[in-house]
Amino acid sequence: MFEIIGERINGLFIDIREAIKNKDPKPLQDWAVKQAEAGAYWLDVNTGPVASKEEQAEIMAWMVKVTQEAADLPCCIDTTNWMAMEEGLKVHKGKAMINSTTAEQAKMDALFPMAANYGAAIVALTMNEKGVPKSAEDRSALAMELLANADAYGISPIDLYIDPLVLPCNVAQEHGPEVLEAIRQIKLLSNPAPKTTCGLSNISQKCPNRPLINRTMLAMAMVCGMDSAVMDACDDELVDVAATASIILNQSIYCDSYAKIFRQR
Amino acid sequence: MAVNIIKERWTSKVAESTLGPDGLKIGGESTLPFMHFEGEMPNRPVTALEVFDMEPADWPEMLKAPYADVLGDPVAWAKKVVDLGADMVALRLMSAHPDWKNASAEEVAKTAKAVADAISVPLIVIGCGVEEKDGEILPVVAEALEGKKALIGCVTQANYKSITAAANGYGHNLIASTPLDINLCKQLNILISEMGLPLDRIAFDPLVGALGYGIEYAYSIMERARLGALTGDKTLATPVVCFVGQEAWKAKEAKDPDVPEWGPQDERAILWETTTATTFAIAGGTIFILRHPESNKRFKAFIDESMKA
Amino acid sequence: MGLTGLEIFKQLPKKNCKECGQPTCLAFAMQLAAGKASLDACPYVSDAAREALDSASAPPIALIKIGAGEKALELGNETVLFRHEKRFEHPTAVTIQVSDNEDVKAKVEKINKLVFELVGQIHQVSMVAVANDSGDASKFADAVKTAQENTAYPLLLISSDVAAIEAALEVAGANKPVVYAADENNYEAMVNAAKKYDAPLVVKGNDLESLAALVEKVAALGYKNLILDSGARETSKVLQDQTQIRRQALKLFRPFGYPTIAFANNADPIVESLNASAFTAKYAGIVVVNSAEPQHILPILTLRLNVYTDPQKPIAVESKVYEILNPGPDAPVLITTNFSLSYFCVAGDTEGARQPAYIVTVDTDGISVLTAWAAGKFTPETIADTVKNLGVMDKVNHKKIIIPGGVAVLSGKTAELTGLEVIVGPGESAGLPSFFKKQWNQ
Repeated sequence: MFEIIGERINGLFIDIREAIKNKDPKPLQDWAVKQAEAGAYWLDVNTGPVASKEEQAEIMAWMVKVTQEAADLPCCIDTTNWMAMEEGLKVHKGKAMINSTTAEQAKMDALFPMAANYGAAIVALTMNEKGVPKSAEDRSALAMELLANADAYGISPIDLYIDPLVLPCNVAQEHGPEVLEAIRQIKLLSNPAPKTTCGLSNISQKCPNRPLINRTMLAMAMVCGMDSAVMDACDDELVDVAATASIILNQSIYCDSYAKIFRQR
Repeated sequence: MAVNIIKERWTSKVAESTLGPDGLKIGGESTLPFMHFEGEMPNRPVTALEVFDMEPADWPEMLKAPYADVLGDPVAWAKKVVDLGADMVALRLMSAHPDWKNASAEEVAKTAKAVADAISVPLIVIGCGVEEKDGEILPVVAEALEGKKALIGCVTQANYKSITAAANGYGHNLIASTPLDINLCKQLNILISEMGLPLDRIAFDPLVGALGYGIEYAYSIMERARLGALTGDKTLATPVVCFVGQEAWKAKEAKDPDVPEWGPQDERAILWETTTATTFAIAGGTIFILRHPESNKRFKAFIDESMKA
Repeated sequence: MGLTGLEIFKQLPKKNCKECGQPTCLAFAMQLAAGKASLDACPYVSDAAREALDSASAPPIALIKIGAGEKALELGNETVLFRHEKRFEHPTAVTIQVSDNEDVKAKVEKINKLVFELVGQIHQVSMVAVANDSGDASKFADAVKTAQENTAYPLLLISSDVAAIEAALEVAGANKPVVYAADENNYEAMVNAAKKYDAPLVVKGNDLESLAALVEKVAALGYKNLILDSGARETSKVLQDQTQIRRQALKLFRPFGYPTIAFANNADPIVESLNASAFTAKYAGIVVVNSAEPQHILPILTLRLNVYTDPQKPIAVESKVYEILNPGPDAPVLITTNFSLSYFCVAGDTEGARQPAYIVTVDTDGISVLTAWAAGKFTPETIADTVKNLGVMDKVNHKKIIIPGGVAVLSGKTAELTGLEVIVGPGESAGLPSFFKKQWNQ
């Protein structure tokens, strides 16, 4: 079943930044409810830029807490600050998602044990200290490293969400087919296969027609085996695409009200 | 070599429903049928024996025999099936059928009330099978049975609106019936729940076929629905009603008294009805509406064995 | 079935020596998974790892061949847990047990008579089991000899006494009977006995753990022509063990990669029949019962037919004229397809309406009315030919046929081709009772 990771609770958005500054839970909670009703399965929580690591950890814990007060959904804790990650995990109810590690050994050795310790799912990016590879093969090679390391830390492939890194189609057009092929290859790496995810709206950065590009990418990625995406859960037509693709891929049982039911899971 | 027992990580479960004045619980399974090692099966599958509100015209002798003294008297008949060990009574309002007595809603409601008052087990009320007529009589029956928390059916895409409104108003549960199609089944559950009747007050009827007569279609629908229920599809997570007796006794293997190469009818007919029921039990059936008391007994014995952890 | 990169990687030495030409063992594993490299390129892979990787390409459940001649059968090669996912491949071998203490010939002859016609095909049991209840090896061998002389069914030889099994195999070994069973105490001798004739051998544990351990020991003796018995006999335990074995086998847990046997034998034949049916639906390769009475066996064989039907290929009924409730010359003639469910629905609802009728099933390769119409198999031409060839109109004193409401568009052309009045019936068979009342009997 396709999992929407709602992207809206992020300090990069002005209303959330203000809310963090004023310690006002309402905007976060409004978005939590709105995204839950729109069909989100996870809620991404990101502090945005914060001056100190300690302060960021404190803010993350507060954000996770108030978000979960409003919506009965798990959070995707989105930060590169490991201290903030751990503080978020500590207050989280249910199974959280860690966003994210890369294939750099130091990161894997810090974040995989954390995921195992808290029973959390984890997003893993197919990049390392050399950056983002171009070819599908190099992306899946990194995915394999992520998978083998996760396995060594006792993390089941079904809790590992591999992100092959979607890049903007206006400046990195040649990455498009490579990403799609990488998704196919990643789904063959193990049995059960690892999950896949992506930051969907990256595909349309600075393009006109962003919604159309996002929707098209989502449908194409789902055909290749994309299991989830960080995306705009409140883009109704985008969610309709996810619901319809799920039906066509026989991931859920058809009924005439399928699009409505998809949002009520 | 160590065997790592594979337990599926089911994320959801079948809705638990409550029936009758004493609150008989059904459903609520968090695993595949009888897979006690990986989940709960908090309530056992239950049986009902059918009672007609008039003498049934097409029942074979073998099926009439155990009820010979009560066939024209639904209240006495209902008490008898409770004595015979049925968990519930399934009253079929056949007299309302336009081809039979074309009885009015008030007449059948009176019978339903009399039967409900005479028993302490939950009552299932089945209409005459003509959608339009059932749409007229069942709301009146629902009103007469207020407080009995009955299971009323069968509602279809054609008549669900009036019956759902009445069931909701008078506190009953519904049987939603769709013809061997999991998509329509899901949709009807949704349509009913959108009228405000919660999903845990619906049981679905996929129109089962008997052993040898298309049993595999409903078997696979039940397996798919249970997998859906366990993986989060709430619209398919309602208990399942199996009209086993009605179908099994249509089969010539059950009703034909004299086919030497099939063996004597007494055991053959009971096995036809009971095998149809047990097959649906292992696929995910919840409520089994049977006709012969011996089948009821045999089926319950099978469930006793299957429920052992 | 290919191995995944992770599975291969776990078997590699993880030295990252680069001697295979790949930068890392991980990369090499991925090349292997993609079929772009050979394991021979790795100089350090262990024999154990090589064997694990070789055997991993085998199917999840081995194909086991039983018996000889026309009644020989195959079990295994199953690939799914639920029939709707694809289909079940090899129907359960329904097996009737005979004791070497009873009149073997009489019971075997009774078993031979269990022949039923179901939807136009002949269905029978699959095997005869001979049990060494006497404890006497030569009596057992005699019973096996009698069974073999009186039936063509493959045999299942039941004894824990290796000498008795050896004696029986001397009589029947050439016909590849199933040997029951190798247990913790006798497995070495049993393997040797079965191996001599390449006969399938049941490995019997006390539970799943001990079964897996024993299969490993038997496999270590080089014998892989196996069938599994977890030792469970209670209904609930059998259902759970059968499910576990199938699940684990599909996840490539090798010790469970064989067909299974389940014993439903019970002093109460109704209980026995019910359990045998349940075990047939839930994965038993062989199911054993005592009763040879048709009323106990027919339900099991019928359920086996139903559950093992390919869900993608509907069952067809014979294309002919079916008579419902002794129809007379004024009875209606209903046309439908030979898809079994179409026929059952029409027949059931006609009977339910207490309407004597003739039902004509047009041969559409067993597909339903609308699908057959769309596929050009249910057409005015096929209807006209079937009505004519089956001579149904000779049985009636009218010139009317009734076609399904879903194909109302065919009525004009059909009328033209047949010279009959074509009445359009209801769209669903459930509408037949009121159709008869309102339109036919007016």
